[in-house]
Amino acid sequence: MSTIPAAGPQAPSSPIRSRRKIDGVRIASFIALIVTTFLMLLPLFFMVSTSLKSKKELLKFPPSFLPESWQWSNYKEIFETLNFGQMYMNSLIIGVLTVVGTLLSSALAAYGFARYRGKGNNLWFMLMLSTMMLPYPAIMIPQFILFSKLNWLDTFLPLVVPAFFGSAYNIFLLRQFFSTLPEELFDAGRIDGCSELRMWRQIALPLSGPALATVAIFAFIYSWNDLLTPVLYLSSSDKFTLPVGMSSFTSSRFRIPPWHLLMVASVLAMLPIVTLFAIAQKRFVEGIVLTGIK
Amino acid sequence: MKRKRIKKTFTLLLASTTLLALMLSGCGGGKSAVDVAPAGDGDTGKTASSGDQVTITHYTIDSEDRTFIEKLIPDFEAKHPNIKVKVEKAPYEQFDSKLQTMIAGGKSPDVTSHYGYGGFAEYYNKDMLLDMNDIIKEDGFKASDYNIPENLMNIYTIKDHVYGIPVNMYVTLMLYNKDMFDAANVPYPPSDYEDKSWTFDKMVEDAKKLTHVSDDIAKTQYGVDFTWSERDMRPLYFGVEPYSQDTWTNGGVPSETRFDSPEVIAAYNKLYGLIFKDKVSPTTEWSKSVAGQNGDAFVTGKLGMSIGGSWNLAGSNDFPFKVGVAAVPAGGNDKVRSVLFVDPLFILKGSKHPKEAFEWIKYLVSDEVQEKSIELSGGNPPVNTKAAEAYYKHFDGIDPADVKKVYEGAVKYGFESYNHLITNYSQINDMFINEMQPLDTGHKTVEEVMPTVQKKVMEIIKRK
Repeated sequence: MSTIPAAGPQAPSSPIRSRRKIDGVRIASFIALIVTTFLMLLPLFFMVSTSLKSKKELLKFPPSFLPESWQWSNYKEIFETLNFGQMYMNSLIIGVLTVVGTLLSSALAAYGFARYRGKGNNLWFMLMLSTMMLPYPAIMIPQFILFSKLNWLDTFLPLVVPAFFGSAYNIFLLRQFFSTLPEELFDAGRIDGCSELRMWRQIALPLSGPALATVAIFAFIYSWNDLLTPVLYLSSSDKFTLPVGMSSFTSSRFRIPPWHLLMVASVLAMLPIVTLFAIAQKRFVEGIVLTGIK
Repeated sequence: MKRKRIKKTFTLLLASTTLLALMLSGCGGGKSAVDVAPAGDGDTGKTASSGDQVTITHYTIDSEDRTFIEKLIPDFEAKHPNIKVKVEKAPYEQFDSKLQTMIAGGKSPDVTSHYGYGGFAEYYNKDMLLDMNDIIKEDGFKASDYNIPENLMNIYTIKDHVYGIPVNMYVTLMLYNKDMFDAANVPYPPSDYEDKSWTFDKMVEDAKKLTHVSDDIAKTQYGVDFTWSERDMRPLYFGVEPYSQDTWTNGGVPSETRFDSPEVIAAYNKLYGLIFKDKVSPTTEWSKSVAGQNGDAFVTGKLGMSIGGSWNLAGSNDFPFKVGVAAVPAGGNDKVRSVLFVDPLFILKGSKHPKEAFEWIKYLVSDEVQEKSIELSGGNPPVNTKAAEAYYKHFDGIDPADVKKVYEGAVKYGFESYNHLITNYSQINDMFINEMQPLDTGHKTVEEVMPTVQKKVMEIIKRK
């Protein structure tokens, strides 16, 4: 959606004499962009349209583009049949805490790796990176035993606390960013008697907006979509998160899945991610470009 | 200088990866998740006989037709003040992962069933299930008191040891679209298994009259969709047994399989002939394009007959056309025409309160609760023969007499589904789906595919 307006500001700068030629190219590229945008948005359109169809209309073939009768009541029904509001809250709480935890811990560790040279620095960094290769099923059972011994089963703690211990990918991302910051800034800070932690807080962090936004979005999306971990640790229905509740829709082998309600849930579940992306979009794209170039 | 640095980094990376790999294999090599399940035997002794309150956990799938048991708990707890029941649930896809993690983590549930991908034989061979013989003896439980037919009890009894009490029984039946039969002026198929005219060939003949293949996908309709059990079991329908006889007596480990034999190949050719020779059955692509992923094309009203599990009946009140039930036609096997899917309740070895768990199981299979469960679950078929009468009447617009005949015939000519009886079944089933993919699309012949299938089945069975 955003690609089209972005092309706008270039228009005044085009030289007058080649205007006709450029217009042709631009029209063609606009058409190409519009067609691709349309194709990309088509599934989204069907998601919204299906979410407003009645149960009978779902089974019709060929499927209708727009609902015959607009069933706004589907949006009410989902809050009545599922404990949807509660699940939404749970997912939000876990998501926000995960973001806070990931930002704090990963930024601190990344800062250390980027700014301090010590013996075995690289070895530790490599070791940390190698944890990325551990698939979740490999640590699933030991972690379950650990958290069950701590009596944390059926609480949000197993889903949130690990975020406060950093994640390799995000540390890597932030380290790359931190090492681009000029050393002189920190030297100046040191001369003025700034403590190490304060340099992190008042020099490194404020300059790293794009990278932090990227990490925040990644962490939030990961936590928002995570299914297996909440399934393992949560057992009371009132603590379930959105993915757990939504996957139960299709888990029944014996019925036709209620696609319309599933689509309602998907539309609503998408909102925070879309909002977050819209807010942080500029910085996010910047973040990917900057950390990627290094 | 720079080169040296890169080399150093590379060595470090290599070293750390190797270290990691060693650590991982160190963990994996020992015992698998399921093997470390506590033996449970030690705990059996200290069950609450003193009247202390105990809590048992019933682990099930998070879907309405399973979680309805929560509504039964208050009544059960009122009758058994010393037992509290907690229901733990997981989505279907994650059912096995969560179960194995809980068992390995020492938090084993007490009661469950094989609701995930793994079947009874898999649980049994992984030593997850409690032998119920002692409890049954002490309790004086008799299947006949609960109207559970003896032959159903035998399914989950191995070498005279009972490992599961049947609670629900699904059968394989035929659903047909009455509107489509009326439009083509074809008489309805019979519900009576003893009707000798109702054969596989007669079904193909009827299906031809119902099939219209057109370039316009919206106008295309097919006569029959023959999804009789899982792929590996289908030869049995024609009287060919691909697994050796000892499979059914030794806990689901066949000593021999015959998937590359001429008889098995002929059976599969007959089935794939429905799609490619007689052209009365849809290809999988067509089904997916009209009904979506995991969808059932019959529900769209574009299939005349559909052979499948009786869970298809549960949604029938919502279908946009009139539905009837019929017998599975005779395909050349005098003994077996219907596949049974009997869901039992197990007590897991890790259970700390097996006696209380057994009380809960007894409650769930009792006459009154079995009958109540039909309505609460939205149409789960009970094993209890007395409660079954209420089940037959449960479906709008379908004659209860037909449902009854189809069920009784299915039990008489029934064989328990292989997926419950054969070890490592989830792997076997995945393999069949992958290897038979070229058959579904018509890119390979049965003769080309089956030798590979035979080899792979034997490999999977030998896996521990």
